[in-house]
Amino acid sequence: MDWKPFIGLPLWFWLFVLPTLLTIASWVLKEKARKILTPIWRFLNVLYTTSGIIAAFFMVIILLLIVAQMIARWSGVTFHGSTEFAGYAMAATSFFALAHALNRGAHIRVSILLNLNNFTKRWVDIFALFVAAIIATYFARYAIKANIFSEMLNDRTQGQDTVPEWLLTLFETLVTSPTQWAVLWSQTSSDMVYTPLWLPQIPMSIGTTLLAIALWDNLIRFVVLDKSNIKGEMV
Amino acid sequence: MTEIYATIIFLVVLFGLLGSSVWVGLALMGVAWVGLELFTSRPAGDAMITTIWTGASSWTLTALPLFIWMGEILYRTRLSQDMFRGLAPWMRLLPGGLLHTNIFGCTIFAAVSGSSAATLTTVGKMSIPELRRRGYPEYMIIGTLAGAATLGLMIPPSLTLIVYGVTINESISKLFLAGVIPGLVLATLFMSYIVAWHFVKKSERPEADKSMSFGEMFAESRFLIPVLVLVFAVIGSMYFGWATATEAAAVGVIGALVLATSQGSLNLSTFYESLMGATRTSAMIALILMGAAFLSLAMGFTGIPRALATFIDGFELSPIALIAMLTVFYIILGMFLDGISSVVLTMAIVEPMIRQAGIDVIWFGIFIVIVVEMAQVTPPIGFNLFVLQGMTTHEISYIAKTAIPMVLLMVLMVVIMVIWPELATWLPDNMRSTPG
Repeated sequence: MDWKPFIGLPLWFWLFVLPTLLTIASWVLKEKARKILTPIWRFLNVLYTTSGIIAAFFMVIILLLIVAQMIARWSGVTFHGSTEFAGYAMAATSFFALAHALNRGAHIRVSILLNLNNFTKRWVDIFALFVAAIIATYFARYAIKANIFSEMLNDRTQGQDTVPEWLLTLFETLVTSPTQWAVLWSQTSSDMVYTPLWLPQIPMSIGTTLLAIALWDNLIRFVVLDKSNIKGEMV
Repeated sequence: MTEIYATIIFLVVLFGLLGSSVWVGLALMGVAWVGLELFTSRPAGDAMITTIWTGASSWTLTALPLFIWMGEILYRTRLSQDMFRGLAPWMRLLPGGLLHTNIFGCTIFAAVSGSSAATLTTVGKMSIPELRRRGYPEYMIIGTLAGAATLGLMIPPSLTLIVYGVTINESISKLFLAGVIPGLVLATLFMSYIVAWHFVKKSERPEADKSMSFGEMFAESRFLIPVLVLVFAVIGSMYFGWATATEAAAVGVIGALVLATSQGSLNLSTFYESLMGATRTSAMIALILMGAAFLSLAMGFTGIPRALATFIDGFELSPIALIAMLTVFYIILGMFLDGISSVVLTMAIVEPMIRQAGIDVIWFGIFIVIVVEMAQVTPPIGFNLFVLQGMTTHEISYIAKTAIPMVLLMVLMVVIMVIWPELATWLPDNMRSTPG
């Protein structure tokens, strides 16, 4: 039931088979693929960097939250849910930076076979990218599923952290049709509500999806250009 | 019987994926998935995300990016130039001379940075050319540097210890404090090696520099003193219970920013670079932790850790024999994997084992760090070797050979730790309780 059909074909086809077919097609059509893909590559590069900068922004948020927590403690004020918020920011930092870290060669791997000779360097790298892309796609697929389920089951935090209701409505606005917006906002109070888990889980969905895209992207770049987009890797 | 099959399949898939250069974090996820699908009826994907989300959004983990960031800021300041200038006049007074700047420099930088590669580059960038110019023998320069840089893993803040603490759910402040004394003892062992060289190989001693007055010595080390103050602030705030590990890290970041600003080496581009560098390193470790969290869940379901702990228990090994066995095991593992990966990969299995044997987990954290430290300087895969190769253009085999005495000293350190476990446990046992 996890792989329900989507536009007539099972979900696993769209997630795993289609990118594989795209990779093979680009491999065969090298020059043509390069022409079509170059603008997409340029766009993706911007996307990865942007996501990295968002991650860095959340790291600054962690710092500010912790400083605020310390100041609150010294001045005898209680700061409800500061640890939960710092945890959410931590998750956002990690997930948003996954793809950017990959392209800048920060993720580590065992490189004994990779360094053996030029033949293994090429084929082992292609194999590793392919396997990694499959695993990352699986990861992203379940991250999104968990995110959607958190929303459906209305999972709330177990801590004391609250967020203003309008913030939730703001996100809901993005996924509802404009005709419903008036109703949606008229039902929104200015109250604080316990954080629903789907909100901090959004970075997980975005970050893992970007990592999967980045791995497929690197694989395709590798077969087309004979080199991936991963720079400065210490192998 | 299933446990044996499960173990074999786990190992084959694990080494297959790791060996074919799949990124460590993703490889661990792949192994865990295979394990769950084959040996349980639990829905693998949903279990995976629940575990990963809980781990990735945990409060304890927030110390990690902040300590990385603190090191990144100081790495981009003039600290490394000033370190040599500030230390050299003092080190000249010791037998063995300026070679001690390698050890002292690494110890100090280790105390502001949790990674040994950063420690190595920061100290080596200045000390290698300066020591060469003064005519110290090459094998002593490279060897002491390779060895001493591993202190970065042990002296707090240590990324490996944060990862260990998060994995087994122990207090990171306690682990940090536990690392202080063994780190200093190890540094002392390295220094005695230099002193021994000084007296044994008299012919290799270079000429002494001209002497300096105390006033000049203080003037030269004026940049070093604020860094030392920052180190004591960070470690002290944890010891006296003023701050948790994460809060100490926040203090460290702010202190580092203030220091860098006052030195004039902080501008928009170094700030941005330090922030992005820290974000990447922390994402790298986070991905490994995600994979490891899923893997330990999968292994827990198969019952391997419990079975193995009972199996090992059946031998009725003394704790010392168990430690000796684990030392050999980690040294071999460390030849192929980096420290953090070896820790997260094995803890699911090793933790029940050591708890059953009645070994203190805080002590074990320090032990495991010393053994994975050795891995940094043992071929074929040793990160310090790679970094040093990049810096000096020596062959890896040559660098590894010069580091052999240091590796032996680390083995000696393990023995010392077994004989006097209080070295690691005394400070954490005496710290004030931490808030929140």
